[in-house]
Amino acid sequence: MATGGPPPDPQTTGRSVVVFSDAVRGDGTAIAEALRSLAEITTVVRTSEIDGGALSGEHVANAEALVFDALGLAVVAREPGELSDSLARMNASDGPILTIEPERVMHAIKIPEPEPPEPEPEPEPPEPEPEPSEPEPEPSEPEQEPGFADDEAFTWGLRATAVDATTATGEGIKIAVLDTGIDLSHPDFEGRTITSQSFVEGATTVADGQGHGTHCAGTSAGPAEPGEGRRYGVATAAALFVGKVLDDNGAGVDAGILAGIDWAITNGCHVISMSLGANDPAVSTTYETVGRRALEAGCLIVAAAGNNADRESGDLGFVGVPANSPSIMAIAALDSRLRVASFSAASNPVEGGSIDVAAPGVDVYSTWRMPQRYDTISGTSMATPHVAGLAALWSQTAGATGQALWTKLTEAARSLELPATDVGAGLAQAPPPASD
Amino acid sequence: MRRQVTVTVADSHVAQIDELAQALRDAGMEVDGILRAIGVITGSLPAEQQLGSIESLPGVAAVEEQKTFRLAPPDADVQ
Repeated sequence: MATGGPPPDPQTTGRSVVVFSDAVRGDGTAIAEALRSLAEITTVVRTSEIDGGALSGEHVANAEALVFDALGLAVVAREPGELSDSLARMNASDGPILTIEPERVMHAIKIPEPEPPEPEPEPEPPEPEPEPSEPEPEPSEPEQEPGFADDEAFTWGLRATAVDATTATGEGIKIAVLDTGIDLSHPDFEGRTITSQSFVEGATTVADGQGHGTHCAGTSAGPAEPGEGRRYGVATAAALFVGKVLDDNGAGVDAGILAGIDWAITNGCHVISMSLGANDPAVSTTYETVGRRALEAGCLIVAAAGNNADRESGDLGFVGVPANSPSIMAIAALDSRLRVASFSAASNPVEGGSIDVAAPGVDVYSTWRMPQRYDTISGTSMATPHVAGLAALWSQTAGATGQALWTKLTEAARSLELPATDVGAGLAQAPPPASD
Repeated sequence: MRRQVTVTVADSHVAQIDELAQALRDAGMEVDGILRAIGVITGSLPAEQQLGSIESLPGVAAVEEQKTFRLAPPDADVQ
């Protein structure tokens, strides 16, 4: 069919997909009329007239028009360019055709090759050459991602989650971090309004004698301009609520954790970050009910998937309580090359045991209790407050809470070429910068 | 050593959480926390008292033994 125009895009077939309006969908007469008007087509094959609606390969290759009755579509043996004038004429007033697109060629999505084994080390050269003074460069591995790194301005995690580019700050949004507390004497939190409460027997304040809680609080809501060094916090203007539910040995009981959740919801928190868990694969009715009630109250709970995997040894681990609750988001950990961290638990077959989304969780720099001030540590515990902060950014920009906010986060996640059982919807992302 | 438990209040009884807390006390539970926003009551039972003794009370959706959550020590590689 020589037309003298440019050759078709190799990824299209030269045919068109015609989408009919709801009004004519299923109406054989109206569709036949539309196809006659559009392209003078008279030979039509309809799925409704074929046993089981099953088209043969021959049908697909040879019909002038194939009408998919249930879908309200037709594939027409004409190039889209040939149809545009007719379409314009037909659609001058509420026509039967919604749109016409080129028929695409689709490809199976390639499963990434497994990493090749490390090459055997070179045998020692026989000549007595002096040893090189620099270490041998590492053999190059096929990289799926160029990789991120901490720099003077931002942690690698803020770059990977696009926080470095966002204009959102989390202002007006309340984030509760339930953990070992926070070091309120830390200079980076000076002047920041922090509402705090201890739920640990024997601890009257949220003073963090461990460091973990301070690190998580820093990741979720650290300041835009820390006193020294790079920025490490996601929702720099969020209202921070710190509940101490873990003692200074990092241990906590349900009573304290549940009391912390209750307090956060009563105070109108939009997000609760829980970097804690128990190695129990079975779903807890208590935490599932609590997660559900939290969502109904407009509060999204995000929890660490768990660090019980050892992927280098083939152990995938499993998502434990409370992240395995269907109503609580389970967060996996990625490294700076966006590979799943070796310790990051994989999805657990129980309903609710799926990983929902992933975030930076290896070599994460954030605040630590004084006088140390900062530390770089790893864990699904570090990935979780990234997502809590991102949730605050999305709640601010999109006005979403609860289940709608959950959906926002998963929809905005950057797809990775990794199994959903490891990373859920992918790498969580910040809202794009507002174009003002 | 008492058994620490959490009692999940059924949706139908969340509004009557205080009455349920009293019923639990009458059944032998020491009530430590009434968490109204999430509909959970926390407390403890004498070691020999079975969970079933309170599980069947009207308005109780579930009774669970409390778990202990633990973090790795601060100098551990993975937190």
